[in-house]
Amino acid sequence: MNARRPLLGWLLIAPSLIGVTAFLILPVLLAFVVSLFRWDLLGTRDFIGLDNYASLLADGALLNSLIVTALFTLISVPVSLALGLALASQLVRALPGSAIVRVIVVIPWVCAPLALGVVWKWIFQPSVGALNQILGVRIEWLTDPSLALPAVAFVAIWQNVGYISLFFQAGLSRIPGSIYEAARIDGAGPWRTMRYMTIPLLRPTTFFLAVTQVVASFQVFDMVFALTGGGPQHRTEVIASLVYHEAFTSSSLGRASAVAVILFVLLVIITLIQQRYFARRITYDMS
Amino acid sequence: MTTPNTPTESATPARSRRPRSTGSMQARTLAGYAGTYVVLAVAAVLTLGPFLFSVMTAFTSSRQFAQEGPLTIPAPPVLENFMALFAPSEGADGFVTPVAVTVQMVAVILVGQMVFSVLAAYAFAQLRFPGRDLLFWVYVATLMVPQVVVVVPLYLMMSEMGLRNTFWALILPFVLGSPYAIFLLRENFRGVPSELMDAMRIDGAGTLRLLWHLVVPLNRPIIVTLVLITVVTHWNNFMWPMVITSGPEWRVITVATSALQSQYNNNWTLVMAGTTLAMLPLVLLMIVFQKQITSSVGDTTMR
Repeated sequence: MNARRPLLGWLLIAPSLIGVTAFLILPVLLAFVVSLFRWDLLGTRDFIGLDNYASLLADGALLNSLIVTALFTLISVPVSLALGLALASQLVRALPGSAIVRVIVVIPWVCAPLALGVVWKWIFQPSVGALNQILGVRIEWLTDPSLALPAVAFVAIWQNVGYISLFFQAGLSRIPGSIYEAARIDGAGPWRTMRYMTIPLLRPTTFFLAVTQVVASFQVFDMVFALTGGGPQHRTEVIASLVYHEAFTSSSLGRASAVAVILFVLLVIITLIQQRYFARRITYDMS
Repeated sequence: MTTPNTPTESATPARSRRPRSTGSMQARTLAGYAGTYVVLAVAAVLTLGPFLFSVMTAFTSSRQFAQEGPLTIPAPPVLENFMALFAPSEGADGFVTPVAVTVQMVAVILVGQMVFSVLAAYAFAQLRFPGRDLLFWVYVATLMVPQVVVVVPLYLMMSEMGLRNTFWALILPFVLGSPYAIFLLRENFRGVPSELMDAMRIDGAGTLRLLWHLVVPLNRPIIVTLVLITVVTHWNNFMWPMVITSGPEWRVITVATSALQSQYNNNWTLVMAGTTLAMLPLVLLMIVFQKQITSSVGDTTMR
């Protein structure tokens, strides 16, 4: 039974409406506008139509960062989901001591990706870093063009597995134990139970996590900035990193905005696909 | 809406319960326990390892680090790296200002976001006014806008207003409320029984009293969760503060950490003291509020 108070309603939402309009909606519109200009930090503002988009395509910068971001996503999301599920399936057994592990594995998630990136940059250092010291090797983890992206993805996985496992723990604890009882009586072993019962029953959780993790990994910036700064040879130049470098290193705010617009369109498409998929496919609602 | 089934009260799957008295069953159960403990131990060691190395290094003297390499146990543990950050010498920028700026920024954003989000969420949940549903839809749509898309235009807007490198620039984009918080609070505020609200209104309570004495106390769990999320998000925020500030005056702790790393490229003992300071407050917060954080996933997202 809602009260009908038009004036009060508008008054209460006024501050947030100003914030949303000025600092979210207006900037998105402005990004579209600036992307059509040659616009630098010194004051040049020439309308050039779609030239920024054309030049980004022509010099390969955009394609490179799309591929880098896609590869980063393809490595980090499936691996962190699989490890998160594996970890959760052990944590929900609630053996003595697992409560501490449950807290420990979430610690990286509350830490600044920038600070974690700096810590891992040190760990990855060829001669003074901890990793090579432990392994007894001398590998250039962050400066070898073929190793840099996997190394960055590894750190992202390391940060996210514990957090992801929280969702799987919640999902697993919603599956009634009686189902497992029935499977055991029917003679299903642990692998078959996992493959044919647990994983299908967890589909809503898995799908939710897959979508949010893909969206998040398309925006990754801080950790890459700290670890590699986009190098070597642009091998870790993710989309957000390209936006930053175009704007604040090359002073091409127009090109940076064009990249931002493309990222925005991509994320909208991902979200729309997600909603259509959600509407059709969520069939195992346990609640 | 289901009650959030927190991981802590999880049902143990039936297969690990009640081993039958046959020997092979018991052996298999024991092997299962051992397997679980191996997985949990590996997870704990891999998670804590990097923190342990970095904290150890932060307490190692730069001379010992140079002589003995990265895996030495500090002997004796020294505070010289932390001292260097808090009593900076020869023109180096310390961590005193960044810590103060970060605390102020987080405090102002936190108060502003919570107050304005609660007001808006109450209006969306409990009042009827023209345009309400359309506006709420617009708010939800803005959840899709990532920071990196708006960072360049926001930079231009702030520069145009002469606010570059000011405290205002750090807080203004966030202080007026967050669509995410409003979305979550509205879902929860809709559950406040209207009889209670009507009773308070009949007693002559205004909107603010109603909010402060009824709506907010009834929704304490989600509000605590949002407070934690807001503190973590803005303490850790990097891209916007880095872009909009320059020089040491309004430098936040993440930007200071990054600057420290590029300024003292090989002085890793000092850099690790910096990362320790940047992360320690939130790790402590996480340990104090572990229940809220681990159970919040049920409240905030699975709907």
